[in-house]
Amino acid sequence: MTIYLNNAASGWPRAEGVCEAMTLTLQTPPFHPGRVAGGCADVLTICRRGIAELVDAPDPTRIVLTTNATHALNLAFWGVKLNDHAHVITTVTEHNSVLRPLHHVRERFPGLRLTILPTNATGALDEEQFDQALEREPTLVVINHASNVTGRVNEVEQLFQKAKKAGAMTLLDASQSLGSIPISVKKIQADLIAFTGHKGLHGPAGTGALYVNPSLELEQVFVGGTGVRSDLMLHPANMPMRLEAGTPNMPSFAGLAAALRWYQKEGAAHAQKATELANRFREALMNIPKVKVFDGTAKVCRTPVISIQIAGWAVEEIGYVLAESFGIICRTGLHCAPLIHQAIGSAPEGTVRFSFSGFNTELEMETALDAVRRLAA
Amino acid sequence: MKITEIKKIEDCFDGSTVYGYTFDAVWTQDRIQQFRTLGNLDYFPDFPRPFFRVCQKNGVQIKGIQGDNNCRVIYPQKQKEVRKKEFEEAFMES
Repeated sequence: MTIYLNNAASGWPRAEGVCEAMTLTLQTPPFHPGRVAGGCADVLTICRRGIAELVDAPDPTRIVLTTNATHALNLAFWGVKLNDHAHVITTVTEHNSVLRPLHHVRERFPGLRLTILPTNATGALDEEQFDQALEREPTLVVINHASNVTGRVNEVEQLFQKAKKAGAMTLLDASQSLGSIPISVKKIQADLIAFTGHKGLHGPAGTGALYVNPSLELEQVFVGGTGVRSDLMLHPANMPMRLEAGTPNMPSFAGLAAALRWYQKEGAAHAQKATELANRFREALMNIPKVKVFDGTAKVCRTPVISIQIAGWAVEEIGYVLAESFGIICRTGLHCAPLIHQAIGSAPEGTVRFSFSGFNTELEMETALDAVRRLAA
Repeated sequence: MKITEIKKIEDCFDGSTVYGYTFDAVWTQDRIQQFRTLGNLDYFPDFPRPFFRVCQKNGVQIKGIQGDNNCRVIYPQKQKEVRKKEFEEAFMES
């Protein structure tokens, strides 16, 4: 029996109907969604509508479909017209899908100022330093909604409100939060939000999206075929086509459409169950001698993610033993978020990360707990 | 017991020195106990599938599961190629 506790990397099992929808799409002759008359919406429209509804965005045409969150983030970074005079503020808790594109942008524009905010002693982003950074004419503020290492949810509503007041554009990386905690575009004041379909939504890999506020017009990064308006010399400028080029991954978006349908019915209860399991797991881990839980305070909002180390064991070794001996799949190392480990004290080797979904059971949680106890004995 | 396949295993760090080895036989309790002559052996027979870890003085670490036909070896950065050759030659001869 395998116990899957790596849902922060990719949600598994896939949601009800995903495999069937993907299979059916592969078995059906392809058609171009924009050129067919008919009563039912195509899967791309269903995905746009589903995501827009999920994040309280009034206009589905502002949802650009992408291959993943990294794709969405790159569209944002290269589309917001950064330059040598820009000032970008981000944080040490970010994933490489944010940090690496930003470093590449800075290579292109060496004058660009990049402020990477630290966390304070409690593990929260240092607001004093954030306020100071905002005084230096910020162009763009990029923050993840929730850390993929500790699960801590950043208070983005408050942070983005300040950023907007300072005149910055705001970009939220919602890779870890979509499907786990509610997101409202209106409340958060995000100009841009990057999503993925294969984590909290339990959709297929190869799906993601970028929300673009109607007040923003991003520079086109990818241009080419659209299947329609082929007589135009330049790529169409209207949304969402403006930022989508080439043949979309129809089987995966059919899967995502099914995942969104499933989430609409069962998502809230699913997310609550995952949170409850993770909270109980975290509390129990904090009482095991030799186990260190990173940023484990129960007083903050979290996604169902827990990071630990066990004295006497290398983190890579814990992952190996849990997988090969106990049949428990988790994730070890830096989790593609290299800067947070210095801040939370898990450098240089990183952590063992357990991440739950609502598909996990109480027995699975208890079995994982027992495994950690045996390693820590 | 001979090596049938060698695979470099990547991890989170540039310049990984972790290798995965597949053998033509499985790790039995007797074979695992023979590692005591090579270094410090930690053996966990009460795990669902018994785990072993050997730490040699030269920095080489060997890790595996009893009953599997594979293991992981972590070489020290310093003298990695020398230690790797030593390990692989030991299993060519046996």
